[in-house]
Amino acid sequence: MSATEEKTAKDPQIVGFACSFCTFKASEMAGSLRMKYPDGVKLVQVPCSSRVDPAFVIKSIFEGADAVFVAGCHPGDCHFIKGNYFTRRKIAALKEMFDAFSMKEKLRLFWVSAAEARRFVEKVRAMYDEIKEASHADAGKKD
Amino acid sequence: MKTGIFICHCGHNIKHTVDVGKLRDYFGRFPNVVVSSDYPFVCSEPGQDMIRESIEKEGLDRVVIASCTPSLHDELFKDLVRKASLNPHLLRRVGIREHCSWVGDDISRNTEKAIRLIKAGLYAAAHYVPLEEKQVEVVKSALIVGGGVSGLSAALFLSNMGIQVYLVEKEPVLGGRVRMLRDIWPVRKDGEAVIAPMEAALRARDNVEIFTSASLVGFEGAFGNYRATLRGLSGERGITVGGCIVAIGSAPFDATIKPELGYGRDERIMTTVDFEEKAGRLPLPPKPRVAILHCVGSRDEQIGRPYCSRICCINALRVAESLKERYKDSYVESFYMDVRAHPRGGEEFFEDTQAKGVLFTRCSVAEIIPGRDGLSVRGEDTLLGEPFERKFDLAVLSVGISPPPDGPAVSSLMKIALDKDRFFLEAHVKLRPYDTAVKGIFIAGACSGPKDMEEAINHGRASAVKLFGFLSAGFATVDPYVAVVDGKRCSGCRMCEKACVAKAIKYDEAARVVHVEEAACMGCGLCNSTCPSSSISLRGYGDSAIDDEIAALVEAI
Amino acid sequence: MQTQAKKIKEGALERGLNGFLEDEGCLVFGFEKGEEGARHRIFKGSLDRHTLLNPSFDVNGALYLRRIFSKGARIIVMLRPCEIRAYVELVKLAQIEPEGIIAVSLDCPGTVSSKEKLKDLPAGMEGLVEYFRDTARMRPACRACGERRGVVGDAGLRIAKDGAFYAFSYTGKGEAFLGLIEGEAAGEAPEMLFGESPRGRAFQTDMESFSKDFSPCIMCRNCRDVCPMCYCLDCLFNGDEYLPKGDALLNKVLRTGSTAMPQGKEAFHLIRMFHVSQTCVGCGACEEACPQAVPLAMYFKGVSERLQGMFSYMSGRDPGEAIPYLTFLEDELQDADD
Repeated sequence: MSATEEKTAKDPQIVGFACSFCTFKASEMAGSLRMKYPDGVKLVQVPCSSRVDPAFVIKSIFEGADAVFVAGCHPGDCHFIKGNYFTRRKIAALKEMFDAFSMKEKLRLFWVSAAEARRFVEKVRAMYDEIKEASHADAGKKD
Repeated sequence: MKTGIFICHCGHNIKHTVDVGKLRDYFGRFPNVVVSSDYPFVCSEPGQDMIRESIEKEGLDRVVIASCTPSLHDELFKDLVRKASLNPHLLRRVGIREHCSWVGDDISRNTEKAIRLIKAGLYAAAHYVPLEEKQVEVVKSALIVGGGVSGLSAALFLSNMGIQVYLVEKEPVLGGRVRMLRDIWPVRKDGEAVIAPMEAALRARDNVEIFTSASLVGFEGAFGNYRATLRGLSGERGITVGGCIVAIGSAPFDATIKPELGYGRDERIMTTVDFEEKAGRLPLPPKPRVAILHCVGSRDEQIGRPYCSRICCINALRVAESLKERYKDSYVESFYMDVRAHPRGGEEFFEDTQAKGVLFTRCSVAEIIPGRDGLSVRGEDTLLGEPFERKFDLAVLSVGISPPPDGPAVSSLMKIALDKDRFFLEAHVKLRPYDTAVKGIFIAGACSGPKDMEEAINHGRASAVKLFGFLSAGFATVDPYVAVVDGKRCSGCRMCEKACVAKAIKYDEAARVVHVEEAACMGCGLCNSTCPSSSISLRGYGDSAIDDEIAALVEAI
Repeated sequence: MQTQAKKIKEGALERGLNGFLEDEGCLVFGFEKGEEGARHRIFKGSLDRHTLLNPSFDVNGALYLRRIFSKGARIIVMLRPCEIRAYVELVKLAQIEPEGIIAVSLDCPGTVSSKEKLKDLPAGMEGLVEYFRDTARMRPACRACGERRGVVGDAGLRIAKDGAFYAFSYTGKGEAFLGLIEGEAAGEAPEMLFGESPRGRAFQTDMESFSKDFSPCIMCRNCRDVCPMCYCLDCLFNGDEYLPKGDALLNKVLRTGSTAMPQGKEAFHLIRMFHVSQTCVGCGACEEACPQAVPLAMYFKGVSERLQGMFSYMSGRDPGEAIPYLTFLEDELQDADD
């Protein structure tokens, strides 16, 4: 394993974009409830998931993130009424692009409402574990 | 740039799993960080004093506070920065408690994460600029859309408090669904008796204007100054109001959506609404057999109505009780899933109804088949686990509540959201049940979810109280986190204008660029991410700030 | 709008256009015959040296129309389908004032790269169709072309299987164009030479191949500069952020370690790829302009076809079709989330 591969395998870095009114609130509740999730997951707070520019996702990957997630309110429940419908289209399209480059697993989209602390933790933990496992598998293939 | 970083221990909540001393020392070595200190409780009085003195003494122009999650103590910290003569939007909060110390156990890993989070905040804050907190004058009048009990209740309160009220109702009469009810439980009054005094009181007031056979056709502006267009029989009228309450009520469930129950195919199958209208003129023999079905149109995933409509169990009990009173030898059987007689006295009412001889069978009714010799009600008794078929002279379907048919139109016009069941979405189910996401627009009554009459009246009054609170201040602060266009970089492609949910972006034909109507902007940032050159950007959440946050979080800077 | 067809004779088009050009303020934007081959030209007064077909591709002509806002001038634009589609998208994006413009698309047999400088390319459609039977002679973008028929814009000039020439109108403006040219109204036009393009396989690659293919890139940004759909007045990639120099570069390397040069090119291409994903017309002008022979067309065309396909969208096909990122359906993409 190279040094960078080893680093990823031990410690995947995941950047998550969380909307202020839903997902970020759920992450706050997860904290109040002392639920634990891997420290490799770090959040960027945005007012609405529709603020997330695909350029942010691409930059995150190229700056060193192993994977990125965009999370917001469930479609139909957006605090800004329709923002997350636009998020859904743009991120679905970005995922399709990532898929064309065989890196679909590096981008995920979650709908997490303000009360769903448990769901938030489950989603990020599952994502972290899968990225970690995939990086082990990749490293294994190269050796 | 002179930044001050203040790291809170939060007692032992942060200190316990994050090395705050290491954070303090680490950031103390940064260029442009003039102050880096830690403190047990920064939200405490001495803690706040310490920060304020630091700002004043060192002439800080950026402040980063690493503590509990940003939404806590928001005004407290903003105020303290204001008192230190620094613009409050030059403050950046970093959450290292809910997002770090409380969610990880390993001190060294948590500390590394805290470094990343604080660094992100530090770099983001470097891009912050002072933002003006504009104030707009608020017009002391209110528009109430819907003249049912909740709308009337709201109108009464506001008018009493000296607010000019415009009440618009699409039907020719006021009173909504309550007007047609008889012998409402538990007050034992007819709807007319509830509505008439409310209406009389309103019509007697000189600060209330009532528009019947009228509807809302236009709606523009922002909190404090909404311009509404009403269209009635005598034409259109424009009014300016400071805020609004949407109280358009609900509709009874259309039982034809469940064709297996035969509604509409036989006059012996009716809903509780029909029963109300036909009371006294029912086509029944002297010893009638009547079936009452609960939960029609509610708790039904198959037809997309998973919710409970709250009022229909009591309605069903009222029907059962009135049948027993009118026909002493009747056979009345209620088919239920659960009996939710939730209001005060409801359980006793349920017991009384059973005592009067009404039978309750727990089951799911599969179908009602009309025949020459009666209606065949077929279903499965869930307690016995057996199918049944029984004959009845009359079937009364206790229908649930459907969302208001005008919901989507009003939602679109006023830019307020509907939830997945198509009722109006409140800002927060528990904490803000009367507010919508749009400042100055509130909701009341059944249009935000099934309610009984008492609940609707209370809800209307509560929304009115909230609206009054806003209006009485006379002015409102405009949130500065709105979008702004760099006219020199904008290429006038109008993509942001098309996407904008609040319709807050307008195109200037002559200059071929767009500009933002700040008062209408909701601050979501969709425009920013839609624009390929980010010529329109969301203050406080611009590209450069977020880019640097990302880079800091992944250790690229 | 009913599509009308007109069978037109030899010379009728030129006569009609010359008649049009007699008026002051009337222009025709098309191709001219030159010694080195055909090139774009704007004709005023008369249609000298005009040629309908240009089998050599250098630039997407819609680029020249960007930010034409003056009203009053009347311009007939006669270009290839990919150029007309780019025109239509630019109109949607308020970058062209369409009032005086009639856009006519021509059936296109394919093109060779202008780098080829082939003097012996056949002149007429028949000859070119024959020449391009060996598709290896075409540019990669043309080989994978999604629409070579003159069916976009206000009107189209198309060739039937029997070699006869037809003009079709698709809009009111197109009808005005047909009105300029003598010919017989054809109730039902016969079978055309070019049919609908077959759907290719969905583009698929990986990051390793991408890095390899783009390693010659020197961040000259020519691809962006010639792309008709890159209309931003001040592009995000103009500054130093994507091509750090001097102290900024030094600081970055010291922090992050060994760095491939130039920095930031992969992010540049991927972000630009997303930005044009719904508007790309697959003309391959980007690849044509690249001094380093990066196989841009395959990537940009391939990705944009996949992303447009998600929404059953084709850029430039219909001026009334909303760009997918500006709209949505409530019940769609149910499986978008993880």
